[in-house]
Amino acid sequence: MGLTGLEIFKQLPKKNCKECGQPTCLAFAMQLAAGKASLDACPYVSDAAREALDSASAPPVALIKIGAGEKLLELGNETVLFRHDKRFEHPSGIAIQVNDNEDVKAKVEKINKLVFDRVGQTHEVNLVAVNNASGDAAKFAEAVKTAQENTQYPLLLIADAAAMEKGLEVAGANKPVVYAADANNYEAMVNLAKKYEAPLVVKGNDLNSLAELVEKVMALGYKNLILDSGSRELAKVIADQTQIRRQALKLFRPFGYPTIAFANNDDAIIESLNASTYVAKYAGIVVMNSAEAEHILPVITLRLNVYTDPQKPIAVESKIYELLNPGPDAPVLITTNFSLSYFCVAGDTEGARQPAYVIPVDTDGISVLTAWAAGKFTPETIADTVKNLGVMDKVNHKKIIIPGGVAVLSGKTAELTGLEVIVGPRESAGLPSFFKQRWNQ
Amino acid sequence: MAVNVIKERWTSKVAEMKLGPNEIKIGGESTLPFLHFEGEMPHRPVTALEVIDMEPEDYPDMLKEPFASVLNDPVAWAKKVVEYGADMVALRLMSAHPDWKNASADEVAATARAVADAIDVPLIVIGCGVEEKDGEILPVVAEKLEGKKCLIGCVTQANYKSVTAAANGYGHCVIASTPLDINLCKQLNILINEMGLPLDRVAFDPLVGALGYGIEYAYSIMERARTGALTGDKTLATPVVCFVGQEAWKAKEAKDPDAAEWGPQGDRAILWETTTATTFAIAGGTIFIMRHPESIKRFNAFIDEAMKSNAY
Amino acid sequence: MFEIIGERINGLFVDIREAIKNKDPKPIRDWAVRQANAGSYWLDINTGPVASKEEQAEIMAWLVKTAQEAVDLPCCIDTTNWLAMEEGLKVHKGKGMINSTTAEQAKMDALFPMAAKYGAAIVALTMNEKGVPKSADDRIALAMELVANADAYGIPMPDLYIDPLVLPVNVAQEHSPEVLEALRQVKLLANPAPKTTCGLSNISQKAPDRPLINRTYLAMAMVCGLDSAVMDAEDAPLVDTAATASILLNQSIYCDSYVKIFRQR
Repeated sequence: MGLTGLEIFKQLPKKNCKECGQPTCLAFAMQLAAGKASLDACPYVSDAAREALDSASAPPVALIKIGAGEKLLELGNETVLFRHDKRFEHPSGIAIQVNDNEDVKAKVEKINKLVFDRVGQTHEVNLVAVNNASGDAAKFAEAVKTAQENTQYPLLLIADAAAMEKGLEVAGANKPVVYAADANNYEAMVNLAKKYEAPLVVKGNDLNSLAELVEKVMALGYKNLILDSGSRELAKVIADQTQIRRQALKLFRPFGYPTIAFANNDDAIIESLNASTYVAKYAGIVVMNSAEAEHILPVITLRLNVYTDPQKPIAVESKIYELLNPGPDAPVLITTNFSLSYFCVAGDTEGARQPAYVIPVDTDGISVLTAWAAGKFTPETIADTVKNLGVMDKVNHKKIIIPGGVAVLSGKTAELTGLEVIVGPRESAGLPSFFKQRWNQ
Repeated sequence: MAVNVIKERWTSKVAEMKLGPNEIKIGGESTLPFLHFEGEMPHRPVTALEVIDMEPEDYPDMLKEPFASVLNDPVAWAKKVVEYGADMVALRLMSAHPDWKNASADEVAATARAVADAIDVPLIVIGCGVEEKDGEILPVVAEKLEGKKCLIGCVTQANYKSVTAAANGYGHCVIASTPLDINLCKQLNILINEMGLPLDRVAFDPLVGALGYGIEYAYSIMERARTGALTGDKTLATPVVCFVGQEAWKAKEAKDPDAAEWGPQGDRAILWETTTATTFAIAGGTIFIMRHPESIKRFNAFIDEAMKSNAY
Repeated sequence: MFEIIGERINGLFVDIREAIKNKDPKPIRDWAVRQANAGSYWLDINTGPVASKEEQAEIMAWLVKTAQEAVDLPCCIDTTNWLAMEEGLKVHKGKGMINSTTAEQAKMDALFPMAAKYGAAIVALTMNEKGVPKSADDRIALAMELVANADAYGIPMPDLYIDPLVLPVNVAQEHSPEVLEALRQVKLLANPAPKTTCGLSNISQKAPDRPLINRTYLAMAMVCGLDSAVMDAEDAPLVDTAATASILLNQSIYCDSYVKIFRQR
């Protein structure tokens, strides 16, 4: 959306000189808002006003790219405060921190292992943050070199200007995140970031000082930015992240960039819980210390869940799923390939300790009742799937079980498949009882 | 340029509910979760630990361990729950399930009363999950618990009439449960209210899914409901109940001691349950029914921090 | 949420005129309650014709006080008499609404400051000394004047209710679509955008089957962004139409009892 008439009017000189061909500045503003005039027609508009009006067409949250190659990370282009209004666009990047005065290689190798398979997709962390804990520029450069040589992930460099210079000599070509420009060092940091075209974090002590500093950085001609509002306590981070997103969406330009949040905590459980919250609450990058699977997996899983497009739920592959080593007398359960449907059936079946085959019919990832209403979960599609997957070859019976909600399909499905079609419970939570009473008695 | 802090102008709030013999208050929020700078959260989210009225068969060892000597004694179990610092006790009457003991309404009501008499904190009583049976037992339970101001659930479109009438008559609140559908949720609240139970005696249960198992569905329902509550939608302006423990401990990630690629079970399981809870807390949940005492400890520490001021 | 401005407490109606004459509060209170129960968000208060300005001011204050004794609703103070306007605002509990100003500079210079002084919302008509313009563009040009002046006087946009002036379809049919287009464009004037309102009953003045015309136009106008309307709150099909349009526009969460819920505040 471009600027409104009132927003444009506020930038105009308000002389009503008529040199633009309109009777008043107000009328000119209306024409501009409607795209029917050009700002050039006004001889008296100031440079600042021109800048403000030009930036109106840029997206609310800038698109920032970190790193290069296969593991390049993109952040930004967000347009909403709530995922249900549309969706969140670029999942938060998770950065695991390694200090330059510890065993860098060992930790980096641990970080590389934080790769998990969920709902048939690969999910992993995104950045290695190298921190100049030693205060020594040479040591920092060495740590950066070790990190770079031992991981594919882009880097996030945490250092003062002198050490940063050394670090960037090593890693600059791969566009790492430069952390950070503050009120004291921003000119030097901007020069460094510009040289390597690397994304630069701008750090304030609070929202006001952050906005002020971003404007100074932008005035030096650099817009490849990430924002740190300076808060580190849970309630304040939640508030600041929310404010920055709200401001960005209202086109307050100093906040039109992705953010970074630090969850780092000596207590790994607190760190993991806070990191998950920051992922859900708008942070572009979330930094953590722990590289242990048990602390990282929940954060990665929540990120996957929150960033799922509400319009396009995740689907599982339509194939034979074997739960708990099913034998030839195991039941065959039919469901859809909506991942939630599959996981509910699988979860409740395993919860009942029942070995079984689960067959998700490809319904474009739609759930049972909706797919039935949409004509994608039908006797025909069920019969085709059962036949094509050949699941009945694995069992010594001729029975399949369909969800209770689509009981009406049982007759036709039996006809098409030549099998006995048993109507199961309406909710997967009824499966344990069902197995007890109807399958295993 | 100084930043003009953006504060939403909310016009209404979540209803405030009173539970238990000491009338503990919950709900009443006039802002989005933890955004203290633009409204109030007069009461923090509360925790409950589950007590089951028969020894659970599906608890992994990690879950049995904190309740080792009391798993077959609901009264003792409830007292242990209070010892562990839960704000409320959630008693699940599983023995009434037709496939389990098929206990009678009188039997389970007696258990419920015994538990209620043994504790000072509010009691949440949940049926066996079979709608028809719950429709029979919960009114009897409600009568037996008169005076205790309990939260009774879960009522559904199928059984809400008998249970609501009893809850209303005997001074209790109800949990209205609908499967991940905000429109049905709103409608059920209205139907219950039409029977004469005021909306500040209704909480809704959206049937939450655990982390990794559909958490985002209830998350968005709760965010939409909270925004509605703050902008004048009274029928969704009720506290929200999250059955976190039941869902989180179904997950392999919580209950499987051996999944090496996911790290050791200790932290993993607690984080699975607690992350599920904290995620719903930031979406607007009010009552968190969990299973492991360490989870409520961690959850409360999180809430301590989240309740701190963030005024500008 | 769509805001119904109940139109019934108007001295043009015989029972209200009598009540004013006899200083009888009962009809005022009754109509306040009836309109509140029908789902009104605001109560329009209009004294009808009164000879002296001072007397009108007294009557307005009495009407506002009496209505607010019966219900906890804000009032829309409907008069061209600035003295009566101010007297009404003085006794008003909570945020009232000034009904109305036009885009004539003298009126804006008097009424916007008054709105700011009392923290009131204000209805702003897209007309000036030259009358009511015909095209949407011309209505919008006047709307822009109203927006800029309101903003300069510190009125927040959500408190500004632009009224593009509905005229009777039986004599001014060509205005009907122009009003709808103007409603749509008002939302592009500022961010946050001003609200919109209209005198709905005007569309059907002196036509047969007024309820049919009223509810059809209401649905059409809500699609174009109409936020509120001065209307007959007891016309049940009209209110049902507003409730249904609101759900169809995804303005509030659907439930099967939405028609009933819409009337509950």
